[in-house]
Amino acid sequence: MDFTSNFIVQLINGIALGSTYALIALGYTMVYGIIMLINFAHGEIYMVGAFVGLALVTIFKVHIIIAFLGAMLFCMLMAVSIEIIAYRPLRRSKRLAALISAIGISIILSNLVNLLVGPKPQTFPSIEKILFEIKSFDLIAGAQINTLQILLIIVSAILMIGLQYIVKRTKVGKAMRATSQDYDTAALMGINVNRIISYTFAIGSALAGAGGVLVGIYFGVVKYNMGMLPGMKAFTAAVLGGIGSIPGAMFGGIILGVIEMMTVAIGFSSYRDAIAFGILILVLLIKPTGLFGKQIFKKV
Amino acid sequence: MIKSRKIFWVLSILLILSLTLVGCGGQKEEPAPKEEVKKEAKAPAALKIGFLGDLTGDTAMYGQNTLDGMKMAVEDINAAGGVLGSNFEIVEADHRYDKAEAANIVQKFVNSDKVIAVIGDPTTGITKATAPIINQGSVVQISAGATGPGVVEIGPFIFRNTLLDTVGGPTTMDYLVNELGWKKVALITAVNNDFSVGLSKIFKEGILNNGGEVVIEESVQDGDTDFSGQVSNIKKSGAEVIVFSGYYTEGGLIMKEVRKQGMNEIIMVGGDGLQAPTFWELGGSAVEGSVSYAGFSPEQPTPEVEKFIERFKAKYGKAPDLFHAQGYDAVMLVAEAIKNANSADPKVFKDALAKIQDYPGVSGNTSFDANREPIKSPVYLLQVKDGNWSLLKKVPVKK
Repeated sequence: MDFTSNFIVQLINGIALGSTYALIALGYTMVYGIIMLINFAHGEIYMVGAFVGLALVTIFKVHIIIAFLGAMLFCMLMAVSIEIIAYRPLRRSKRLAALISAIGISIILSNLVNLLVGPKPQTFPSIEKILFEIKSFDLIAGAQINTLQILLIIVSAILMIGLQYIVKRTKVGKAMRATSQDYDTAALMGINVNRIISYTFAIGSALAGAGGVLVGIYFGVVKYNMGMLPGMKAFTAAVLGGIGSIPGAMFGGIILGVIEMMTVAIGFSSYRDAIAFGILILVLLIKPTGLFGKQIFKKV
Repeated sequence: MIKSRKIFWVLSILLILSLTLVGCGGQKEEPAPKEEVKKEAKAPAALKIGFLGDLTGDTAMYGQNTLDGMKMAVEDINAAGGVLGSNFEIVEADHRYDKAEAANIVQKFVNSDKVIAVIGDPTTGITKATAPIINQGSVVQISAGATGPGVVEIGPFIFRNTLLDTVGGPTTMDYLVNELGWKKVALITAVNNDFSVGLSKIFKEGILNNGGEVVIEESVQDGDTDFSGQVSNIKKSGAEVIVFSGYYTEGGLIMKEVRKQGMNEIIMVGGDGLQAPTFWELGGSAVEGSVSYAGFSPEQPTPEVEKFIERFKAKYGKAPDLFHAQGYDAVMLVAEAIKNANSADPKVFKDALAKIQDYPGVSGNTSFDANREPIKSPVYLLQVKDGNWSLLKKVPVKK
């Protein structure tokens, strides 16, 4: 294999990994866009999604597609409950209070799963037994792509297009955008902002849950602390794309995945996390609004 | 709107309920005894052996198995009339894989229980943490499991009885390059794991000394799940075999990725870090054919070992593993040293222990070299077959 083919292979690896970051990053960015809260429990919601998917497939023996939808639904309900219990009472307090509450929820969730399932990594049943066989297809220059990567990228793309549709074309989406622009005015215009915030949490978390199941299928393993690092990386992706911006989160995720994979490709795999978080620091120093972010004037 | 508010309340109450229920369940599951010390039937002037290990924590399997092996050895010794007229007695404790707790336990062993020897800990980390206290107290310690460097250097009372990486690694690489004829090797190291970093050095030296070539070196981290980039690099390198020095979780996942990327023939060769059922639970068919080395295998035993295996099965209802065998041998080595020295004083019998050569234990022949390091022969090469380890070959160690 020559340089081009390796480049293409690593690019595909990167896009596949980046799609999972993007799915998580969307939840961060949507919640931040609407209530200016960095929801640090979001990575844990992704982890819970993966476990719900695993439980549905292995214990309840349902079809993987139903498990996928079930995990999304569960994450929606869970995130809405979390919002009501842990964030809504703090809506009018200092932003730091809600942030600490989010960190608390994150610790509770990961420890709860650790308690229930144990610290051992759990095997996600191989997709070959439930959906299709893993095959590789030749691309140009001898590079290959496998069916799992195609699945991951296509499902992520469908979910992101669906999200764009909801936000841009539906009434709920319009209300979301209005609430994110100006919370108080939106309320004055007759929008039930609490309900819109719940919708935002629900949609963002459904994407994270979907991401969890996809990653379970893709890597074949789920673990109670699997939300931690991808959660941080997705946060980086959201900042890179401009926190609060939906297209920004998508591109930020994919760019981060590709950069990480290129780091591995040139032989610096030990530094992949360092480089990802190095990017976070650089973006915050040089362009705090990110690639797609707009300058926000602080409303006091 | 009122309806949805009601739903929210119901949901939140459900969530709180589920949290409290789980909390209660958890408390019931974990009795977590702080320190459990059981004393076996008291015989007059029994010689006490301390068991140092983990019975409820992350390394509980190693600890429990070592203890079971020790119990059987003590039974055998006592049934034969004990050593120098005294019976052996085990003093148990559980440190829950906690270094501070382990230090408290050995303090108690040395100062209040007055043990003559401590068997354990199966891990290098806790052995190194407790050895200075035991050595200071002039009690013999035999770790039946610590394979890492810097253990016996701690003091003249510290021993171990296990296949060292510096013995098993080169022997395995010799077999790989010369017998199987794979000269182009991809070497993967888990860089945040001391054990893996150390073993990779040993592997690399072994490959080069036997005329092999390391065509690519890749690094991963413990806890990673994405290995697509590294595996793509290995695919490009044209390696004939993957040598991995890390643990079973990453090993299984790497092989899964290898098969996913269409490399269907290549196998993984690794150290005893791969030896846990998790390896094939995660890897499935992808790890079939993978090879690792070990100091013990219940397959193809010598007649003496076969007797041990049969008696073990009769007592515990399962085949013994490496830790059972090493725990058994550790107690037997103490008994042998006491007999040779004609004294149960650790200050005296430690020298007899250091002189033991070719002791025919159930976990292989054990000799101690000039630095008191054990040399165990043969090395067992194991291969995954139908989701379990099976014996590939017994390789005698070149001294």
